[in-house]
Amino acid sequence: MTSSSAASRKALSKIACNRLQKELVEWQVSPPAGFKHKPTDNLQRWVIEVNGAPGTLYANETYQLQVDFPEHYPMEAPQVIFLHPAPLHPHIYSNGHICLDILYDSWSPAMTVSSICISILSMLSSSTVKQRPEDNDRYVKNCRNGRSPKETRWWFHDDKV
Amino acid sequence: MAEEVLIEVEAVQAVYGDDCLVLDKYPPHLHVHIKPRTADVSSQQFVEAVIGIRAVSEYPDEPPHISIIDSKGLDEQRQKHLVTGIHNRACELSSCAMLVALCEEAVERLSSMNHPDGNCPLCLYPLVEEDADNKLPFMKLMSCFHCFHCECIIRWWNWLQTLKETDSTNISGATLHVSGEMENQKGMHGATQESVGTCPVCRKVFHAKDIDHVLALVGTHSQLRSEESDVSDDKRLLQSDSENIRRLKFEATLKLQQENSGLIEPKKNEVLLPGTFLPQPITHPSTVSDKETTEQQHADQVINAETSSGSPSDRPSSSKHRYSGMRKHQGRNSREQVKQWIRKENDSTN
Ligand SMILES: [Zn+2]
Ligand SMILES: [Zn+2]
Repeated sequence: MTSSSAASRKALSKIACNRLQKELVEWQVSPPAGFKHKPTDNLQRWVIEVNGAPGTLYANETYQLQVDFPEHYPMEAPQVIFLHPAPLHPHIYSNGHICLDILYDSWSPAMTVSSICISILSMLSSSTVKQRPEDNDRYVKNCRNGRSPKETRWWFHDDKV
Repeated sequence: MAEEVLIEVEAVQAVYGDDCLVLDKYPPHLHVHIKPRTADVSSQQFVEAVIGIRAVSEYPDEPPHISIIDSKGLDEQRQKHLVTGIHNRACELSSCAMLVALCEEAVERLSSMNHPDGNCPLCLYPLVEEDADNKLPFMKLMSCFHCFHCECIIRWWNWLQTLKETDSTNISGATLHVSGEMENQKGMHGATQESVGTCPVCRKVFHAKDIDHVLALVGTHSQLRSEESDVSDDKRLLQSDSENIRRLKFEATLKLQQENSGLIEPKKNEVLLPGTFLPQPITHPSTVSDKETTEQQHADQVINAETSSGSPSDRPSSSKHRYSGMRKHQGRNSREQVKQWIRKENDSTN
Protein backbone atom coordinates (compact mmCIF):
# COMPACT_ATOMS: atom_id res chain seq x y z
CA MET A 1 0.00 0.00 0.00
CA THR A 2 2.92 2.26 0.47
CA SER A 3 4.91 1.38 -2.56
CA SER A 4 3.02 3.09 -5.34
CA SER A 5 5.16 6.18 -5.36
CA ALA A 6 8.33 4.12 -5.20
CA ALA A 7 7.33 2.06 -8.20
CA SER A 8 7.12 5.10 -10.40
CA ARG A 9 10.35 6.57 -9.04
CA LYS A 10 13.14 7.41 -11.36
CA ALA A 11 16.29 5.34 -11.26
CA LEU A 12 19.15 6.47 -9.06
CA SER A 13 21.60 8.91 -10.58
CA LYS A 14 25.19 7.81 -10.88
CA ILE A 15 26.10 9.99 -7.95
CA ALA A 16 23.34 8.52 -5.81
CA CYS A 17 24.51 5.02 -6.74
CA ASN A 18 28.09 5.72 -5.76
CA ARG A 19 27.08 7.25 -2.52
CA LEU A 20 24.73 4.38 -1.62
CA GLN A 21 27.33 1.79 -2.45
CA LYS A 22 29.68 3.57 -0.12
CA GLU A 23 27.04 3.66 2.61
CA LEU A 24 26.35 -0.02 2.11
CA VAL A 25 30.02 -0.88 2.58
CA GLU A 26 30.25 1.25 5.71
CA TRP A 27 27.06 -0.29 7.02
CA GLN A 28 28.50 -3.76 6.59
CA VAL A 29 31.65 -2.77 8.45
CA SER A 30 29.82 -1.08 11.31
CA PRO A 31 26.03 -1.19 11.31
CA PRO A 32 24.31 1.07 13.83
CA ALA A 33 23.55 -0.85 17.04
CA GLY A 34 20.07 -2.40 17.00
CA PHE A 35 19.69 -2.50 13.21
CA LYS A 36 20.01 -5.26 10.63
CA HIS A 37 19.99 -4.89 6.90
CA LYS A 38 20.55 -7.66 4.40
CA PRO A 39 21.73 -6.12 1.17
CA THR A 40 19.75 -7.17 -1.89
CA ASP A 41 20.38 -6.30 -5.48
CA ASN A 42 17.95 -3.44 -5.11
CA LEU A 43 20.15 -0.56 -4.02
CA GLN A 44 17.22 1.84 -4.21
CA ARG A 45 15.16 0.23 -1.47
CA TRP A 46 16.56 -0.94 1.81
CA VAL A 47 14.45 -2.86 4.29
CA ILE A 48 16.01 -2.57 7.71
CA GLU A 49 15.17 -4.49 10.86
CA VAL A 50 14.94 -2.40 14.02
CA ASN A 51 15.19 -3.86 17.48
CA GLY A 52 13.72 -1.81 20.30
CA ALA A 53 16.45 -0.79 22.71
CA PRO A 54 16.68 -2.68 26.01
CA GLY A 55 15.09 -0.86 28.90
CA THR A 56 12.65 1.06 26.71
CA LEU A 57 8.96 0.54 25.92
CA TYR A 58 9.96 -1.23 22.72
CA ALA A 59 12.47 -3.67 24.20
CA ASN A 60 12.30 -7.13 22.60
CA GLU A 61 10.14 -5.82 19.78
CA THR A 62 11.21 -5.90 16.17
CA TYR A 63 10.01 -3.62 13.41
CA GLN A 64 10.91 -3.05 9.80
CA LEU A 65 11.88 0.22 8.22
CA GLN A 66 11.59 0.70 4.50
CA VAL A 67 13.95 3.26 3.01
CA ASP A 68 13.42 4.36 -0.59
CA PHE A 69 16.03 6.53 -2.23
CA PRO A 70 15.17 9.21 -4.76
CA GLU A 71 17.03 9.86 -7.99
CA HIS A 72 19.01 12.71 -6.48
CA TYR A 73 19.88 11.23 -3.12
CA PRO A 74 21.53 12.61 -0.98
CA MET A 75 20.44 16.06 -2.14
CA GLU A 76 16.90 14.84 -1.60
CA ALA A 77 15.93 12.98 1.55
CA PRO A 78 15.04 9.31 1.28
CA GLN A 79 11.49 8.25 2.05
CA VAL A 80 11.50 6.36 5.34
CA ILE A 81 8.46 4.51 6.67
CA PHE A 82 7.74 1.64 9.01
CA LEU A 83 6.30 -1.46 7.35
CA HIS A 84 3.15 -2.90 8.87
CA PRO A 85 2.80 -3.19 11.82
CA ALA A 86 4.34 0.17 12.75
CA PRO A 87 5.35 0.68 16.38
CA LEU A 88 2.80 2.38 18.60
CA HIS A 89 4.33 5.78 19.15
CA PRO A 90 2.99 9.34 19.42
CA HIS A 91 4.93 10.33 16.28
CA ILE A 92 4.35 7.27 14.16
CA TYR A 93 1.12 6.90 12.20
CA SER A 94 -0.52 3.54 11.74
CA ASN A 95 0.33 3.62 8.03
CA GLY A 96 4.02 3.73 8.97
CA HIS A 97 4.62 7.42 8.31
CA ILE A 98 7.09 8.91 10.75
CA CYS A 99 6.93 12.45 12.03
CA LEU A 100 10.62 13.25 12.38
CA ASP A 101 12.07 16.54 11.21
CA ILE A 102 15.28 15.22 9.68
CA LEU A 103 13.29 13.11 7.21
CA TYR A 104 11.68 16.20 5.74
CA ASP A 105 12.48 19.86 6.25
CA SER A 106 15.62 19.29 8.27
CA TRP A 107 17.24 16.82 5.94
CA SER A 108 20.86 17.51 5.10
CA PRO A 109 22.92 15.65 2.48
CA ALA A 110 25.55 14.98 5.13
CA MET A 111 23.14 12.60 6.85
CA THR A 112 23.25 8.91 6.07
CA VAL A 113 21.00 5.88 6.43
CA SER A 114 22.97 5.11 9.55
CA SER A 115 22.39 8.49 11.11
CA ILE A 116 18.68 8.30 10.23
CA CYS A 117 18.44 4.93 11.95
CA ILE A 118 20.10 6.29 15.06
CA SER A 119 17.66 9.20 15.16
CA ILE A 120 14.67 6.91 14.76
CA LEU A 121 15.84 4.58 17.49
CA SER A 122 16.40 7.53 19.77
CA MET A 123 12.90 8.76 19.01
CA LEU A 124 11.50 5.34 19.92
CA SER A 125 13.63 5.07 23.02
CA SER A 126 12.53 8.37 24.49
CA SER A 127 8.83 7.57 24.23
CA THR A 128 6.99 7.32 27.53
CA VAL A 129 3.67 6.13 26.18
CA LYS A 130 2.63 3.67 23.50
CA GLN A 131 -0.02 5.44 21.52
CA ARG A 132 -0.81 6.77 18.05
CA PRO A 133 -0.68 10.45 17.17
CA GLU A 134 -3.91 12.25 18.02
CA ASP A 135 -4.85 12.86 14.41
CA ASN A 136 -3.91 9.38 13.26
CA ASP A 137 -7.25 8.37 11.71
CA ARG A 138 -7.73 11.56 9.78
CA TYR A 139 -4.18 11.57 8.49
CA VAL A 140 -4.16 7.94 7.45
CA LYS A 141 -7.46 8.44 5.61
CA ASN A 142 -5.93 11.30 3.68
CA CYS A 143 -3.04 9.12 2.66
CA ARG A 144 -5.20 6.38 1.20
CA ASN A 145 -4.17 7.09 -2.35
CA GLY A 146 -0.74 5.85 -1.32
CA ARG A 147 0.98 9.16 -1.11
CA SER A 148 4.42 9.53 0.32
CA PRO A 149 5.02 11.13 3.71
CA LYS A 150 7.38 13.43 1.86
CA GLU A 151 4.36 15.04 0.25
CA THR A 152 2.94 15.90 3.61
CA ARG A 153 3.56 19.34 4.87
CA TRP A 154 4.70 18.60 8.35
CA TRP A 155 4.11 21.39 10.73
CA PHE A 156 6.22 21.47 13.75
CA HIS A 157 5.80 22.59 17.32
CA ASP A 158 7.83 21.84 20.39
CA ASP A 159 6.32 19.58 22.92
CA LYS A 160 7.04 17.82 26.11
CA VAL A 161 7.30 14.19 25.15
CA MET B 1 65.13 36.33 35.70
CA ALA B 2 61.67 37.77 35.52
CA GLU B 3 62.97 40.59 33.39
CA GLU B 4 64.25 38.23 30.71
CA VAL B 5 60.93 36.46 30.70
CA LEU B 6 59.09 39.74 30.25
CA ILE B 7 61.26 40.53 27.25
CA GLU B 8 60.33 37.15 25.84
CA VAL B 9 56.64 37.88 26.20
CA GLU B 10 57.15 41.16 24.38
CA ALA B 11 58.91 39.27 21.61
CA VAL B 12 55.92 36.98 21.14
CA GLN B 13 53.66 40.01 21.02
CA ALA B 14 55.91 41.61 18.47
CA VAL B 15 55.83 38.56 16.21
CA TYR B 16 52.18 37.66 16.56
CA GLY B 17 50.62 41.05 17.13
CA ASP B 18 46.88 40.84 17.61
CA ASP B 19 47.05 37.08 17.37
CA CYS B 20 48.69 37.03 20.78
CA LEU B 21 46.62 37.60 23.87
CA VAL B 22 48.58 38.08 27.08
CA LEU B 23 46.52 36.95 30.04
CA ASP B 24 49.38 37.25 32.49
CA LYS B 25 52.76 38.85 31.97
CA TYR B 26 54.44 36.99 34.76
CA PRO B 27 54.57 34.12 34.98
CA PRO B 28 53.56 34.26 31.34
CA HIS B 29 50.16 33.02 30.33
CA LEU B 30 49.41 33.50 26.63
CA HIS B 31 46.79 32.57 24.08
CA VAL B 32 48.29 32.61 20.62
CA HIS B 33 46.19 32.25 17.49
CA ILE B 34 48.27 30.06 15.19
CA LYS B 35 47.68 29.62 11.49
CA PRO B 36 49.57 27.48 9.02
CA ARG B 37 51.75 29.16 6.43
CA THR B 38 49.54 29.52 3.43
CA ALA B 39 50.90 32.72 1.96
CA ASP B 40 47.76 34.43 3.18
CA VAL B 41 45.61 32.56 0.70
CA SER B 42 42.80 32.03 3.12
CA SER B 43 40.96 29.55 0.95
CA GLN B 44 43.99 27.28 1.27
CA GLN B 45 43.93 27.37 5.03
CA PHE B 46 42.24 24.27 6.37
CA VAL B 47 43.31 24.35 9.99
CA GLU B 48 43.97 26.84 12.74
CA ALA B 49 44.27 26.79 16.51
CA VAL B 50 44.47 29.00 19.54
CA ILE B 51 47.25 27.64 21.72
CA GLY B 52 47.40 28.26 25.43
CA ILE B 53 50.90 28.60 26.89
CA ARG B 54 50.99 28.82 30.64
CA ALA B 55 54.29 29.06 32.48
CA VAL B 56 54.99 28.75 36.17
CA SER B 57 57.43 30.89 38.14
CA GLU B 58 60.13 28.21 37.66
CA TYR B 59 60.01 28.88 33.92
CA PRO B 60 62.13 28.32 31.84
CA ASP B 61 63.57 25.46 33.88
CA GLU B 62 60.09 24.08 34.11
CA PRO B 63 58.48 23.92 30.63
CA PRO B 64 55.17 25.76 30.27
CA HIS B 65 51.87 23.91 30.10
CA ILE B 66 50.51 23.71 26.53
CA SER B 67 46.82 23.40 25.70
CA ILE B 68 44.46 23.98 22.80
CA ILE B 69 41.93 26.67 23.59
CA ASP B 70 40.13 26.51 20.28
CA SER B 71 40.71 24.97 16.88
CA LYS B 72 39.23 24.52 13.44
CA GLY B 73 39.69 21.62 11.08
CA LEU B 74 41.51 19.48 13.65
CA ASP B 75 40.06 16.29 15.04
CA GLU B 76 41.11 15.01 18.44
CA GLN B 77 43.98 13.03 17.08
CA ARG B 78 45.45 15.99 15.26
CA GLN B 79 44.93 18.26 18.25
CA LYS B 80 46.84 15.80 20.36
CA HIS B 81 49.59 15.64 17.80
CA LEU B 82 49.88 19.40 17.92
CA VAL B 83 50.03 19.63 21.70
CA THR B 84 52.49 16.76 21.98
CA GLY B 85 54.75 18.32 19.40
CA ILE B 86 54.87 21.65 21.18
CA HIS B 87 55.32 19.98 24.53
CA ASN B 88 58.25 17.90 23.27
CA ARG B 89 59.85 20.98 21.85
CA ALA B 90 59.45 22.69 25.23
CA CYS B 91 61.26 19.81 26.93
CA GLU B 92 64.07 19.99 24.39
CA LEU B 93 64.52 23.69 25.01
CA SER B 94 64.31 23.39 28.76
CA SER B 95 65.93 26.32 30.59
CA CYS B 96 66.23 28.38 27.37
CA ALA B 97 63.92 31.19 26.45
CA MET B 98 61.42 29.30 24.36
CA LEU B 99 58.10 31.10 24.01
CA VAL B 100 58.65 32.30 20.46
CA ALA B 101 60.18 28.96 19.51
CA LEU B 102 57.12 27.15 20.79
CA CYS B 103 54.83 29.30 18.68
CA GLU B 104 57.03 28.60 15.68
CA GLU B 105 56.80 24.92 16.41
CA ALA B 106 53.02 25.25 16.38
CA VAL B 107 53.15 27.01 13.02
CA GLU B 108 55.32 24.22 11.62
CA ARG B 109 53.03 21.53 12.88
CA LEU B 110 49.93 23.25 11.59
CA SER B 111 51.55 23.85 8.23
CA SER B 112 52.27 20.15 7.91
CA MET B 113 48.67 19.37 8.83
CA ASN B 114 47.17 21.95 6.55
CA HIS B 115 44.85 19.68 4.64
CA PRO B 116 41.36 18.43 5.36
CA ASP B 117 40.94 15.23 7.23
CA GLY B 118 38.64 12.28 6.78
CA ASN B 119 35.85 11.87 4.27
CA CYS B 120 33.82 14.30 2.23
CA PRO B 121 30.49 14.45 4.10
CA LEU B 122 28.60 14.44 0.81
CA CYS B 123 30.04 11.53 -1.19
CA LEU B 124 31.71 9.82 1.79
CA TYR B 125 34.95 9.29 -0.09
CA PRO B 126 38.22 10.54 1.41
CA LEU B 127 38.94 14.20 0.86
CA VAL B 128 42.62 13.59 0.48
CA GLU B 129 42.96 10.56 -1.72
CA GLU B 130 46.31 8.87 -1.96
CA ASP B 131 45.56 7.22 -5.23
CA ALA B 132 46.59 9.78 -7.81
CA ASP B 133 43.94 8.64 -10.28
CA ASN B 134 41.13 9.38 -7.93
CA LYS B 135 42.16 12.81 -6.83
CA LEU B 136 39.44 15.37 -6.67
CA PRO B 137 39.89 18.98 -5.68
CA PHE B 138 38.53 19.84 -2.28
CA MET B 139 37.62 23.07 -0.54
CA LYS B 140 36.50 24.44 2.76
CA LEU B 141 33.66 26.75 3.59
CA MET B 142 35.28 29.94 4.73
CA SER B 143 33.16 30.42 7.81
CA CYS B 144 33.12 27.02 9.46
CA PHE B 145 36.12 25.22 7.88
CA HIS B 146 34.00 22.20 6.97
CA CYS B 147 35.57 20.61 3.93
CA PHE B 148 34.06 19.04 0.84
CA HIS B 149 35.08 18.00 -2.61
CA CYS B 150 34.58 21.01 -4.83
CA GLU B 151 32.26 19.18 -7.15
CA CYS B 152 30.21 17.85 -4.25
CA ILE B 153 29.61 21.22 -2.60
CA ILE B 154 28.90 22.84 -5.95
CA ARG B 155 26.32 20.19 -6.66
CA TRP B 156 24.65 21.00 -3.33
CA TRP B 157 24.86 24.70 -4.08
CA ASN B 158 23.27 24.25 -7.50
CA TRP B 159 20.63 22.03 -6.00
CA LEU B 160 19.69 24.70 -3.49
CA GLN B 161 19.58 27.38 -6.16
CA THR B 162 17.43 25.20 -8.38
CA LEU B 163 15.05 24.60 -5.52
CA LYS B 164 14.86 28.29 -4.93
CA GLU B 165 13.98 28.95 -8.54
CA THR B 166 11.32 26.29 -8.40
CA ASP B 167 10.08 27.82 -5.22
CA SER B 168 9.66 31.28 -6.65
CA THR B 169 7.96 30.16 -9.84
CA ASN B 170 5.74 27.50 -8.40
CA ILE B 171 4.07 28.44 -5.19
CA SER B 172 1.76 25.54 -4.70
CA GLY B 173 1.53 24.17 -1.24
CA ALA B 174 1.78 20.48 -0.85
CA THR B 175 4.64 19.57 -3.14
CA LEU B 176 7.07 22.10 -1.80
CA HIS B 177 8.29 20.08 1.11
CA VAL B 178 11.94 20.46 0.24
CA SER B 179 12.06 24.06 -0.72
CA GLY B 180 10.12 24.79 2.40
CA GLU B 181 13.29 23.80 4.15
CA MET B 182 15.08 26.84 2.96
CA GLU B 183 12.46 29.24 4.13
CA ASN B 184 12.11 27.64 7.49
CA GLN B 185 15.76 27.36 8.21
CA LYS B 186 16.99 30.67 7.10
CA GLY B 187 13.82 32.61 7.45
CA MET B 188 15.72 35.59 6.23
CA HIS B 189 15.98 35.72 2.50
CA GLY B 190 12.37 36.66 2.03
CA ALA B 191 11.96 38.84 -1.00
CA THR B 192 15.65 39.26 -1.69
CA GLN B 193 17.00 36.83 -4.20
CA GLU B 194 20.46 36.77 -2.71
CA SER B 195 22.08 33.42 -3.22
CA VAL B 196 22.72 31.57 -0.01
CA GLY B 197 23.29 27.97 0.94
CA THR B 198 23.70 26.07 4.16
CA CYS B 199 26.67 24.00 5.21
CA PRO B 200 25.50 20.38 5.04
CA VAL B 201 27.37 19.61 8.25
CA CYS B 202 26.65 22.53 10.59
CA ARG B 203 23.95 24.38 8.61
CA LYS B 204 25.78 27.64 8.86
CA VAL B 205 24.61 29.92 6.08
CA PHE B 206 27.13 30.62 3.36
CA HIS B 207 27.00 33.01 0.42
CA ALA B 208 28.02 32.84 -3.19
CA LYS B 209 31.23 34.65 -2.34
CA ASP B 210 32.16 31.94 0.14
CA ILE B 211 32.46 29.38 -2.61
CA ASP B 212 33.75 31.80 -5.17
CA HIS B 213 37.19 30.20 -5.05
CA VAL B 214 35.63 26.85 -5.77
CA LEU B 215 33.52 27.91 -8.68
CA ALA B 216 36.77 28.87 -10.36
CA LEU B 217 38.17 25.40 -9.89
CA VAL B 218 35.03 23.70 -11.00
CA GLY B 219 35.00 25.82 -14.12
CA THR B 220 38.01 23.85 -15.28
CA HIS B 221 36.17 20.62 -14.69
CA SER B 222 33.09 21.36 -16.67
CA GLN B 223 32.51 17.72 -17.47
CA LEU B 224 31.65 17.22 -13.84
CA ARG B 225 28.63 19.34 -14.19
CA SER B 226 27.14 17.67 -17.20
CA GLU B 227 26.76 14.52 -15.18
CA GLU B 228 23.53 15.74 -13.77
CA SER B 229 21.53 17.57 -16.32
CA ASP B 230 19.24 19.61 -14.17
CA VAL B 231 21.80 21.71 -12.37
CA SER B 232 21.78 25.36 -13.18
CA ASP B 233 24.72 27.03 -14.75
CA ASP B 234 27.15 29.45 -13.18
CA LYS B 235 29.06 30.41 -16.28
CA ARG B 236 28.23 34.03 -15.82
CA LEU B 237 29.94 34.07 -12.48
CA LEU B 238 32.84 31.93 -13.58
CA GLN B 239 33.73 34.13 -16.48
CA SER B 240 33.25 37.50 -14.91
CA ASP B 241 36.16 39.89 -15.02
CA SER B 242 36.56 40.06 -11.30
CA GLU B 243 36.72 36.32 -11.13
CA ASN B 244 39.41 36.19 -13.80
CA ILE B 245 41.46 38.80 -12.04
CA ARG B 246 41.07 37.05 -8.75
CA ARG B 247 42.27 33.84 -10.29
CA LEU B 248 45.31 35.42 -11.83
CA LYS B 249 46.27 36.89 -8.50
CA PHE B 250 45.73 33.58 -6.85
CA GLU B 251 47.94 31.76 -9.30
CA ALA B 252 50.66 34.38 -9.04
CA THR B 253 50.68 34.05 -5.28
CA LEU B 254 50.92 30.33 -5.50
CA LYS B 255 53.76 30.52 -7.96
CA LEU B 256 55.61 32.77 -5.59
CA GLN B 257 54.87 30.42 -2.78
CA GLN B 258 56.15 27.51 -4.78
CA GLU B 259 59.39 29.28 -5.66
CA ASN B 260 60.00 30.16 -2.06
CA SER B 261 59.06 26.84 -0.58
CA GLY B 262 55.98 28.29 0.95
CA LEU B 263 57.77 30.97 2.90
CA ILE B 264 56.66 34.18 1.32
CA GLU B 265 54.74 35.68 4.15
CA PRO B 266 57.06 37.99 6.02
CA LYS B 267 56.50 37.79 9.72
CA LYS B 268 55.41 40.99 11.29
CA ASN B 269 58.49 42.49 12.94
CA GLU B 270 60.38 39.28 12.90
CA VAL B 271 62.50 38.96 16.00
CA LEU B 272 65.29 36.47 16.18
CA LEU B 273 65.98 34.98 19.52
CA PRO B 274 68.03 31.95 20.39
CA GLY B 275 66.08 28.95 19.24
CA THR B 276 63.56 31.03 17.39
CA PHE B 277 64.46 30.23 13.89
CA LEU B 278 63.55 26.92 12.40
CA PRO B 279 64.72 27.07 8.83
CA GLN B 280 64.15 23.43 7.93
CA PRO B 281 60.82 21.69 7.98
CA ILE B 282 60.99 19.50 11.00
CA THR B 283 60.37 15.81 10.81
CA HIS B 284 57.44 14.37 12.61
CA PRO B 285 57.18 11.21 14.60
CA SER B 286 56.07 8.44 12.32
CA THR B 287 53.57 7.25 14.85
CA VAL B 288 51.26 9.93 13.71
CA SER B 289 49.57 9.36 10.43
CA ASP B 290 50.21 12.85 9.18
CA LYS B 291 53.24 12.34 7.06
CA GLU B 292 54.89 15.45 6.04
CA THR B 293 53.56 17.39 3.15
CA THR B 294 56.16 19.75 1.98
CA GLU B 295 55.16 23.24 1.12
CA GLN B 296 56.52 22.66 -2.34
CA GLN B 297 54.22 19.78 -3.04
CA HIS B 298 51.36 21.64 -1.60
CA ALA B 299 51.83 24.61 -3.85
CA ASP B 300 52.16 22.37 -6.89
CA GLN B 301 48.98 20.63 -6.14
CA VAL B 302 47.02 23.72 -5.55
CA ILE B 303 48.07 25.12 -8.87
CA ASN B 304 46.93 21.97 -10.56
CA ALA B 305 43.71 22.18 -8.68
CA GLU B 306 44.40 18.77 -7.34
CA THR B 307 44.07 17.44 -3.87
CA SER B 308 47.14 17.83 -1.80
CA SER B 309 48.52 14.48 -0.99
CA GLY B 310 51.31 12.98 1.01
CA SER B 311 49.02 12.27 3.84
CA PRO B 312 47.46 8.87 4.05
CA SER B 313 43.82 8.97 4.92
CA ASP B 314 44.08 5.90 6.99
CA ARG B 315 42.22 7.32 9.86
CA PRO B 316 38.90 5.81 10.73
CA SER B 317 36.31 7.48 8.63
CA SER B 318 34.71 8.69 11.82
CA SER B 319 31.13 9.35 11.05
CA LYS B 320 30.99 10.78 14.52
CA HIS B 321 33.39 13.45 13.52
CA ARG B 322 31.49 14.13 10.37
CA TYR B 323 28.39 15.10 12.23
CA SER B 324 30.04 16.83 15.08
CA GLY B 325 28.65 20.16 14.12
CA MET B 326 25.21 19.09 13.08
CA ARG B 327 22.91 21.51 14.73
CA LYS B 328 19.88 19.32 14.55
CA HIS B 329 21.69 16.27 15.82
CA GLN B 330 24.26 17.18 18.28
CA GLY B 331 23.68 19.21 21.34
CA ARG B 332 20.23 17.79 21.64
CA ASN B 333 19.74 15.28 24.30
CA SER B 334 17.57 12.34 23.49
CA ARG B 335 14.62 14.01 25.07
CA GLU B 336 14.82 17.03 22.86
CA GLN B 337 15.50 14.88 19.90
CA VAL B 338 11.90 13.92 19.61
CA LYS B 339 9.87 16.80 18.45
CA GLN B 340 6.24 16.78 17.83
CA TRP B 341 5.14 17.69 14.38
CA ILE B 342 1.62 18.23 13.39
CA ARG B 343 0.41 18.59 9.90
CA LYS B 344 -0.69 21.88 8.51
CA GLU B 345 -4.43 21.91 8.48
CA ASN B 346 -5.07 23.19 4.98
CA ASP B 347 -2.97 20.56 3.37
CA SER B 348 -5.34 17.68 3.22
CA THR B 349 -5.59 17.36 -0.52
CA ASN B 350 -2.97 16.65 -3.03
ZN1 LIG C 1 32.76 14.50 -2.08
ZN1 LIG D 1 29.96 23.84 8.45
